[in-house]
Amino acid sequence: MAKPTKPLYSSLDEWVDVQPLEQYEKVNPLAPIFYTDEYKDATSYFRGIVKSGEMSPRVLDLTEHIIRLNPAHYTAWQYRYRTLMSIKAPLDVELKLMDELAVKYLKTYQVWHHRRLILTETRDPQRELAFVEESLREDTKNYHTWSHRQWVLSHFNDIDLWRGELDFLDTMFNQDIRNNSAWHHRFFVVFQSGVREGEEDRERVVRRELTFTKQNISFAPNNPSAWNYLRGVLEFNKLPFSTVTTFVFPYTQPTDPEAVDLVDLDNPPPSKQAELPCPAAIEFLADIYESEGGESLLKANQLWKSLADEHDTMRKRYWEYRIKESLQKGST
Amino acid sequence: MANSRPPRPAPDDAFPTSTSRLQAETEAVLLDHIPTQVQAETAQLPAKLNKSAHVQFLARNFIQGFPAKYTSQDASQPWLMFWTLQSFSVLQVGLDPGNKQRAIDTILTWQHPDGGFGGGPGQAAHLLASYASVCALSIAGGQGEKGGWDQIDRKKMYQFFMSLKQPDGSFLVAHHAEVDVRGIYCLLVTATLLDIITPELVEGTASFIASCQTYEGGFSSASQPYYSSEPYTPKSLLSSPRPPLGEAHGGYTFCALASWVMLQPFLDLSPRGISRDRPQINVKSLLRWLVQMQGSAAEIGGFRGRTNKLVDGCYSWWVGGAFSLLEALGVGASVIGPVPGDGEDSRASGRDTEPGEEGKDGENEHEWDDVDDSFFNREALQEYILYAGQHPTGGLRDKPPKNADAYHTMYCLSGLSSAQHRMFPSVERREQLQEAWKAPSPDDTLPGKIRKETFLNSLSWTEDESASKILGGEANRVNATHPVFNLTITHSEAIMSHFYGQTVPPRVRSST
Ligand SMILES: [Zn+2]
Repeated sequence: MAKPTKPLYSSLDEWVDVQPLEQYEKVNPLAPIFYTDEYKDATSYFRGIVKSGEMSPRVLDLTEHIIRLNPAHYTAWQYRYRTLMSIKAPLDVELKLMDELAVKYLKTYQVWHHRRLILTETRDPQRELAFVEESLREDTKNYHTWSHRQWVLSHFNDIDLWRGELDFLDTMFNQDIRNNSAWHHRFFVVFQSGVREGEEDRERVVRRELTFTKQNISFAPNNPSAWNYLRGVLEFNKLPFSTVTTFVFPYTQPTDPEAVDLVDLDNPPPSKQAELPCPAAIEFLADIYESEGGESLLKANQLWKSLADEHDTMRKRYWEYRIKESLQKGST
Repeated sequence: MANSRPPRPAPDDAFPTSTSRLQAETEAVLLDHIPTQVQAETAQLPAKLNKSAHVQFLARNFIQGFPAKYTSQDASQPWLMFWTLQSFSVLQVGLDPGNKQRAIDTILTWQHPDGGFGGGPGQAAHLLASYASVCALSIAGGQGEKGGWDQIDRKKMYQFFMSLKQPDGSFLVAHHAEVDVRGIYCLLVTATLLDIITPELVEGTASFIASCQTYEGGFSSASQPYYSSEPYTPKSLLSSPRPPLGEAHGGYTFCALASWVMLQPFLDLSPRGISRDRPQINVKSLLRWLVQMQGSAAEIGGFRGRTNKLVDGCYSWWVGGAFSLLEALGVGASVIGPVPGDGEDSRASGRDTEPGEEGKDGENEHEWDDVDDSFFNREALQEYILYAGQHPTGGLRDKPPKNADAYHTMYCLSGLSSAQHRMFPSVERREQLQEAWKAPSPDDTLPGKIRKETFLNSLSWTEDESASKILGGEANRVNATHPVFNLTITHSEAIMSHFYGQTVPPRVRSST
């Protein structure tokens, strides 16, 4: 049993005016949890406080105590927020506390949401992006942390905040080009949140993104995040997949031991140690053939068949479905 | 998949990063859980679902209580209840009347005086807790004074739901709390079961769901609304941009897709729904993303929840269970008919027959007559759950060497169920329900039509018994579950017919 971090409220004079409330009064509950005495005591006093409606500085102590014992106690968070607002507590102090708790309880919804509520009040996001970057060091794919960053950017929508995002992403990609959260963030920043200063030339932006993606595919072709991004960029900008046929083709072929090093920024070839052919490239090429229709459908079918039978047998059913679907489309 | 050769590891192209290193470590652990050819032949490692061990694991916590480490779930008591009860249902285990009553009494203590259910007595009402409580009552409860169903305050529940509604069609999960599609899924299931779903409640919700689809095809937790900042006018929601916050994720994708399915009557029938600004989702990219989540042979065909993340037993349901939902949108391998003249090719690619599986091959040489019409590898997913998902001392888990817990036990079992059974919206069943439908008054009003449509859509889900595929033989069979609600069909029918005042005609066991 965990050592209590504080004396029990039931032993403290300053809490004697609060009537603690048992959790289950008239019911013999099924599936109860065996709490520690400390937790039971704190939550009994909390139920008493909620019932009386008291909002005071000591409620902040009590809710912090409960949150430290169980950061997913959303009612404690909710009541804490109401209390902060009601007694007009200093929010910079609250944010300091949140710095500590966010890193400690990274995977909890509530720590991130509470932070958001406080920032909405203070309207001061200046150090927020640095804080997020720091937390991502602990857990580079944390869903809440990334969503929080995206919220900060789009909610405050301040050009000074947006400005550093591509550089920030470079550091993330340098660590791990397979981090899908970073790829998603890139899409969010470049395409989905409006057009910002310096990014007005969309053709240039698309070219830049295609070059970036191809380069990353050439380093490690079997990276589904990069292929998904490539699809996303083309689809979002209503460009046909055939825009990149020349680039994709070598990735659908077996590794070529004779290959010489080429520097071709538009169509970077696979690295020497790439494990080829790459199923994502075969799928991509099949999509190109399918959209060409006519004779090319046959080529698409052959590629899907090679995925079904050899290169991606786990998804056999799906590739067979693609064949079936395309034949049906072709016959009508 | 029993194999003498080890499966091919994920290629890292000699460019290792932390993602590929973690992937390789996981594959090494999983490798130990794939039976070798010898083991499979001598049945040292049979693909057996350890039903009694799992029931014991569940019953121990359920009856005696959960150990202190479950304090982190103190605000999720309805979930502990629902996970346990639904696991029992999937395992075909019933509850004795005494414990049933205790379950009902316990659940009712979580109802908030202002509507909705909280995570425990005295806790604030929450959408997730409301879903888990109402679903738990669907299983354990019934009508009457002590049954629990009639003690749900539906009017206040509705008011609670409306008080969470946001201008972009989304909902907070609780007051002062976050917006996300899990909450919307929970709200829609609850409102559907209790007959409190209305056009007013879900106005704008389908557009919100659609805005959460990412470029990868799956769905994110939420999207960010932008509002016009014209001075002197009320701020109005812009239709774009509404960027998704967070990447495509298995749990959110299930919730978004199931919500989309529940919202169909509103899209189909409301005057705005027919117009050009009817919200849309990209089903093609969604299907692609879903199938891409299935791991390789080296991952025993388990599902992951995000691109470049690890496989995890709970996505057996969140992703594996999402495929049948596509059938409600007219996307099923079965929706597409046979292809003339393509029989040879398809068969040449071979079809693995598992022990205990009943096929119906060879009826017509020139048809694509594979009985397995699913999009994903159902056998492989069952192998993942049986070989890697089961903890040796009972309960199911994310992956070895992790411990079992209530959450993973239920979502592994539900996932197993979706891999064993094929569920589809049956036209035949729909007609039976339509014939038996009793309208309280002539209901050609829009809300009346939507209400009926909701009832018919929800309960026409039927198992295609000719297409079930039970790896490891009949002893491993678990119950089929409702693809939208994750309740058994029997429980779904019982609670819905109660609240909609309908008598559901008995189901005739037949194959399609
Ligand atoms: Zn999991």
